[in-house]
Amino acid sequence: MALSMMESNNRLIYNDAGQGPVQHQFSPYTDNGGSIVAIGGPGFAIIASDTRLTSGFAIYTREQGKLHSLTNAAVLGASGCWCDVLSLTRLIQARMKLYKHEHQKDMSAAALAQMLSTMLYGRRFFPYYVSNVIAGLDEEGNGVVYSYDPVGHCDKNMYHAGGSSGALLQPLLDSQIGLKNMAIKPTAPLTVEKALQITKDVFTSAAERDIKCGDGVIIRIITKDGIREETFKLRFD
Amino acid sequence: MNSEGGVRSFDSFATSLPKGERRNPITHTQAPVTTGTSIIAFEYDGGILMAADMLGSYGSLARYRSVPRLLKVNDKTVIGCMGDYADFQYLQAIIEQMEVDEACKDDGFQTTARSLHSWLTRVLYNKRCKFDPLWTTFVVAGLDQDKPFLGFVDKLGTAYTDPIITTGYASMLATPLIRKAVEDKLKDKNEKLTLAEARKVIEDSLTLMYYRDARASNKYQIAIIPSNGEASIIEEPKTLLGDWSVAHLIK
Amino acid sequence: MFLTRSEYDRGVNTFSPEGRIFQVEYAIEAIKLGSTVIGICTSEGVVLVVEKRITSPLMEPSTIEKIAEVDKHIGVACSGLTADSKTLIDRARLESQNHWFTYNEKMSVESVSQAVSNLAIKFGDSDDDEGAMSRPFGVALLFAGCDEKGPQLYHMDPSGTYVQYDAKAIGSGSEGAQQTLVEMYNKTMTLKEATKTSLTILKQVMEEKLNSTNVEVAVVTPTARFHMFSKEEVEEAIKDVA
Repeated sequence: MALSMMESNNRLIYNDAGQGPVQHQFSPYTDNGGSIVAIGGPGFAIIASDTRLTSGFAIYTREQGKLHSLTNAAVLGASGCWCDVLSLTRLIQARMKLYKHEHQKDMSAAALAQMLSTMLYGRRFFPYYVSNVIAGLDEEGNGVVYSYDPVGHCDKNMYHAGGSSGALLQPLLDSQIGLKNMAIKPTAPLTVEKALQITKDVFTSAAERDIKCGDGVIIRIITKDGIREETFKLRFD
Repeated sequence: MNSEGGVRSFDSFATSLPKGERRNPITHTQAPVTTGTSIIAFEYDGGILMAADMLGSYGSLARYRSVPRLLKVNDKTVIGCMGDYADFQYLQAIIEQMEVDEACKDDGFQTTARSLHSWLTRVLYNKRCKFDPLWTTFVVAGLDQDKPFLGFVDKLGTAYTDPIITTGYASMLATPLIRKAVEDKLKDKNEKLTLAEARKVIEDSLTLMYYRDARASNKYQIAIIPSNGEASIIEEPKTLLGDWSVAHLIK
Repeated sequence: MFLTRSEYDRGVNTFSPEGRIFQVEYAIEAIKLGSTVIGICTSEGVVLVVEKRITSPLMEPSTIEKIAEVDKHIGVACSGLTADSKTLIDRARLESQNHWFTYNEKMSVESVSQAVSNLAIKFGDSDDDEGAMSRPFGVALLFAGCDEKGPQLYHMDPSGTYVQYDAKAIGSGSEGAQQTLVEMYNKTMTLKEATKTSLTILKQVMEEKLNSTNVEVAVVTPTARFHMFSKEEVEEAIKDVA
């Protein structure tokens, strides 16, 4: 319904009036933005999301975290089409409760990762338009990161950036966490402090370039002692 | 079923149509018909204020000039609807019946804003999954355990909660006005808006919408959901006059 | 005795006034006609031994299969109506693979037992559920497996009840065998000792003499997982059975 103006035969034509009925086309999908960064290391995993929920140029809310602590050893970050995010995460939580009652144990991060993949692929022809990242601890207590495409392709990694700023942040993580294309590589193992600092830095950078990213960051740090939360402010415009 | 062709004859098969005619595929709602415009709602010191004008537009025609777009669900819950008015009325009938059923149980429980918001989210999401959406955006206001609750849900099932919720053109025109009022008060006195101040802000917002939104009108209703235990109310319709003293300068 | 039951012993959906479903109890009776099966669980693994009834010298003994692999880490032995067991074993295999497909992990022995039990109690004489059994299954199963909780042995009967055991005997010789198991079982048994014990007990309750054609032996260990004994291995195992 844009109020655009056209000139034809030296006559002004307002598209809004008198040119026949306005056609609405229903699309079941929308992009509500949101960015996720996850980093795994020895004995820990961290996952962070921004807190901005958008629709086009509008900000719906500045306080919408996108992390879901699913077990003591796994946190899911989900962003994209928010209505799909809401439905998918609820379905995951229901499936996890059923699993717990059926098998008398909490789901491991690996089991959760596989289940999410099959759930996403189950909707291959009407996909959940969601960018998913799971950060958790494996059986040995070390950090793992699983990332997905909307139809269930699952990739196991040590770090991942997903969501609206994913393409912006992934190369930064490749450099700073993956130490790709470095002549002299640091040998010290990744620490929680370093991972946290990099996470905060990359979000600050993303907020400068991506209008869908901003307002704040929620970070969850997963260790064998449980899950700790930190928050961090981003530009607020 | 079909006595002539038995199982081999399909009723909907296109070849049974007269030559040159084509049957269209089944279509669902692809566009709203009679529509309402923006909803404005935000928290104040003692509860939540919500407002909507009363125009039902038929495309660019101001077709129905006094239709209520706010619905009092119960003493603690009010909803407002933007979008297709028929879809609103359809859900209104269902919600009102749910409230009657709930009241008949007489168990002291009533639908909370939070649960109604969740229910609406599921209904709208399920309809969008069938590619047959209810072309509406709802704002749900109420109290949940004596705390203000304000939620948004649209035709896709996109849902969130926030202390300030506006829909449609109001999200561009009215939100900055409301945020400024709320933030200024917070900065100056470290207090929330009083009911009187909130009412002033919401009336200013409605005036602005009346001036700038071609699908808005000057007849409106305000709903108050107080957090002190008093019942929520939807006030009688009021009419804005606006200030047209500069109108003659516009050609 | 049968006179008093006559009103209630036909339907599978009718309780008797004493609160019993006779058809289920009769199905449990059917197990007692079956060949003897013994399972022993040790810290090293689980062993299953079964008696194969060779009713005719013209019979091909290898076609009697009373022990089956459910998954790499779970085996099952059955006694009773062998044909019924095929349906249950199929379900066990299906559930185990489905669990692996969905969760990328081994299904636990208990969960497999529960899944099969769900099928075992899905009987009734209504026509609504096509494919459901009209009567209880006439088999008892011993699930032997190794999962994250270690080696385990589960028993399931036609009522769908499943219980974990250290050692369990089912089939025609089960009463005597179970008593001997109680006397001979101890927690510190090795798998080899358990194999020998189970074969010794089987020998006592069998009419025929033990040989490599009329017994089947399988073990499930955490490392080698399910392993069915070859003819040579069976001969080796029964050699030192007194």
